[in-house]
Amino acid sequence: MNEEKPSPSSDFQGLIKPPSFLGLRVDRQSLIKHFFTGSAAVTILTLFLIMYSLLKEGTGFIPTYQFELKVYRQAGLEFCDFIQKPLTENTALLSKLNRAVNADTATLTQKAQVRRDALFLAKGRVEEKTARLREAVTEAVETANTPPEKLAQARQALNEANAKAVGEEAFPDVYSAEERRQIASDLGTLQPDAAEPPAIIKTLSAEFAEQDRIAKEKYAGFLEAVEAFEEATEPIVELHDGIAELAKSTKEAAVQQHMAEDAKAQLLAAAESAKTPEAKANFQKEADATSLEAIDYKGKIEPIVAKLPEYEAMVPTYVAAIKAAMEKVPQKGETKESTALINEVRKQLPKHLTHAEESPALMKAWQWDKPIPMVQALTAFLFGGDWITNSSWQDFYGVVPLLTGSLLIAVIALVIALPLSVGAAIYTNQFASPREQELIKPFIEFIQAIPSVVLGFIGISVVGDLIKETSNVAWLQWIPGFPVQERLNMFNAGLLLALMAIPTMFSLAEDAIQNVPRAFSEASEALGATKLQTVFRVIFPASLSGVFAAMLLGLGRIIGETMVVLLVAGNRIAIPDFSDGIGTVFQPAHTLTGIIAQELGEVSKGSSHWQALFMVGILLFTISLLINFVSRKVVKRFQLPKI
Amino acid sequence: MHAPATSALLENPFAKRRSHRETYEFIVRSVLRGATYLILFATAAIFLHIIVKGSPILFQAKAPFINVEFLTKLPETLHVLEDKQGHIYKTDPKGADAIKHQLGDNLRQEKTISYSGGGILGPIVGTFLLVLVCIVIALFLGISSAIYLSEYAKPGKFIEWVRLAILNLAGVPSVVFGLFGLGVFVLAAPVFTNTPLDRALLVIPLGFTQMSFQGWDTSVLSGAFTLAFVILPVIITASEECLRAVPMGFRETSLALGATRWQTIWRSVLPFAMPGILTSSILGIARAAGETAPIMFTAALAFKDKLPWQGEAGFGGVFTESVQALPYHIYTLAARIPQNEYSERAQYGSVFVFLVLVMTLATASVLLRRKLRAKYKW
Repeated sequence: MNEEKPSPSSDFQGLIKPPSFLGLRVDRQSLIKHFFTGSAAVTILTLFLIMYSLLKEGTGFIPTYQFELKVYRQAGLEFCDFIQKPLTENTALLSKLNRAVNADTATLTQKAQVRRDALFLAKGRVEEKTARLREAVTEAVETANTPPEKLAQARQALNEANAKAVGEEAFPDVYSAEERRQIASDLGTLQPDAAEPPAIIKTLSAEFAEQDRIAKEKYAGFLEAVEAFEEATEPIVELHDGIAELAKSTKEAAVQQHMAEDAKAQLLAAAESAKTPEAKANFQKEADATSLEAIDYKGKIEPIVAKLPEYEAMVPTYVAAIKAAMEKVPQKGETKESTALINEVRKQLPKHLTHAEESPALMKAWQWDKPIPMVQALTAFLFGGDWITNSSWQDFYGVVPLLTGSLLIAVIALVIALPLSVGAAIYTNQFASPREQELIKPFIEFIQAIPSVVLGFIGISVVGDLIKETSNVAWLQWIPGFPVQERLNMFNAGLLLALMAIPTMFSLAEDAIQNVPRAFSEASEALGATKLQTVFRVIFPASLSGVFAAMLLGLGRIIGETMVVLLVAGNRIAIPDFSDGIGTVFQPAHTLTGIIAQELGEVSKGSSHWQALFMVGILLFTISLLINFVSRKVVKRFQLPKI
Repeated sequence: MHAPATSALLENPFAKRRSHRETYEFIVRSVLRGATYLILFATAAIFLHIIVKGSPILFQAKAPFINVEFLTKLPETLHVLEDKQGHIYKTDPKGADAIKHQLGDNLRQEKTISYSGGGILGPIVGTFLLVLVCIVIALFLGISSAIYLSEYAKPGKFIEWVRLAILNLAGVPSVVFGLFGLGVFVLAAPVFTNTPLDRALLVIPLGFTQMSFQGWDTSVLSGAFTLAFVILPVIITASEECLRAVPMGFRETSLALGATRWQTIWRSVLPFAMPGILTSSILGIARAAGETAPIMFTAALAFKDKLPWQGEAGFGGVFTESVQALPYHIYTLAARIPQNEYSERAQYGSVFVFLVLVMTLATASVLLRRKLRAKYKW
């Protein structure tokens, strides 16, 4: 506005005759207006640019992924995966059988094992504590002309330190008094150059070996069955590996060719826009030099498909072998755990066998040249159960494991946060004294300012260990999922996210309760209702739409949160195993937001992985818009009458 | 009552006894109160834990009472050396060489812990720069957009639609803004240069120089712009609300007295809306300071041994260099290095300083609101 002459009457003048600027008559008011319009336009445009850039990067994903899936099919990798699927199932079942047989043998060996392992652990700790003195002794021994008294001195110091360290050990209650004495004397005189391990260790190791032998004898049938179960797959694995090798080389050739095509297209484009004829001719020449040999998919797929009859012949043998192996598996295990595992295997076995039996038919119906429509790339992204990247076989971008992780964590957080925040809102608004309100409201709003990375850090450094220690407490073992395997899991993340969502949900719910017209409660009290009846039958129901909107916005905050889940959720990309029931919440998971934060830094721009991450961004964007939309609708639909 | 007569005499028959209804009410109230205080207790426990673990790192008993070294040194690798007599030396890389030389054969073992030595000057400077530039961008664009929307824009379908879009953007996850910042500011924003890069989307020759859309790389500017756009929807919505809350009569009176549109806004609308605008802005800035996801790909580095103005670009580096930032530093310390007794100092120290910083901003906004509200009332 400095283009104007500063005169006291300029405003007045401006009203009558706009001053001149660059020969144009522009008045100051419209200049100011244009200034604001301009900056608003910049802001709004950039905000729209967000959606545009997301869409631009993300939508490129679909043709790229379609191409990758096409190669996956044409090169025959898909064909190989028909065989791989029963093999993977077999591995899963086998691991269950192994766990069952281990649980059974452990009934015999466990005691000896505990006795041996506790001693080993104690020895390790003692050695660690006295490491410096041990090294001193070793050095004294190795140095050629150490005076004997110095060596003896070093040994003496080490023995003293050993004895002290052994004294600090708390041994489990599995040794007799005599054994304890022996342990103390053997560990107390540990010397680094001793020729043999201490006698007590030898004794306990022998004891364990003996028990192990007895157990192996007792469960010989079961062990053999498990071995047979594993061996049944061997010919199939061999066949699969052979054709997988072929398919992979075709795929590599296809990728090479695709890259060459891109390079050629770039060269041609460069030739098109070249400034001088020489440069143009140069580019053209280079482009012509890149030979593009069409890949003979048909010829390459033939040897792969030719193996089908061989595989078909193997399947009945395999099924028979598995059935025979299962015959040898005992009906009931020795322990609860093994019985449960065996029952699980028996339950899943028919499905596995049908999968195996059906696979040749599926492979016969499979056609290498069946086209993959565009939509399939999208559905493979939205409903695909695998998120596999940087794989040597095939990358898959299926968002389901991430989505289930995000949603499950959100549900955990909501289950914790909703009762707490709504309860707190009712209490603060209806029951608390004004003084209490003055304390509670700002305090809860203050939580909002805690940065999420700080909460994530607390999750790693404090809450994780707290959960793990609590889960080992004996009288809490009835809780499903206890004892917890992983320190960082969905429950941990849900707990912290609940704390993050509480301020949002609390203030919105409190507003909703506050907005219930006074006349409602007055009418209720005039009819003789008590305070509780008024609160729970009149005020709270009237504010439900607001409380629901509060829950939705809290949910939006939880799903969109990145740092807490990245640090605390455990980052395991797999659909949670729901067979644990409620205990599922103690498994680690990965999330939509976490995957972007974790992987975006490492991918190259424009690759299919990069585009897939932008697609995840679009998905998050859509979810948050949906949540906002629904909450607005709910508030509008159930608006209270103005009284 | 069938109680013995003596005890009946001792009891006051008129004493108020709790009815079932009252007991029930008491229980429900206690449960609700319990929920409320559980939230407060959990929060207080987190604050206390950080204060108890963090303050001994920042404060000390001797003068000058503050651990100056922690605040004025750059992060560096911590070397822990142990000699054969069991003495432990904690030192920086240079000191480690000296001690190793001095100990000679007497050295027993050496451990290195990344990022855990030195201080946190780099992250503090980076966060300050990011927040400072972010404030300028967000306040300028935010408040002027709000003034446009509330004072100048003609009400209509289009403006309603824009308003709704902005409101919805307020709920978009910050990591999505990070994606956008990477795609737009880091890789596609315009720069003036004589030597445009190959990856530029578009190059416009301007005669004396060229405008190349090649992005600002990972830099303070990219990060600050991304952060600004994370909080802009909130600032615009809140500021507009404050502006619209100023009664129409104020504007009408001013215009009726012959004031121009701008005089009206400047003298009789903005002063009354200012407390609200400032409060929401500072809260927004506190949020921006605490965000990690948007700067992960746009501005922050895990390690940098120079301050932004010590690079080749000289003082201009405060805009164009990548920096370390406190939230990202905390992430690195928490997730990228093994946890042990030696890494705790840097972890809790950074968390404590960061929390103090963010909480100061949040408290400032509350105090400011109180003060300004007392001044402007209608």
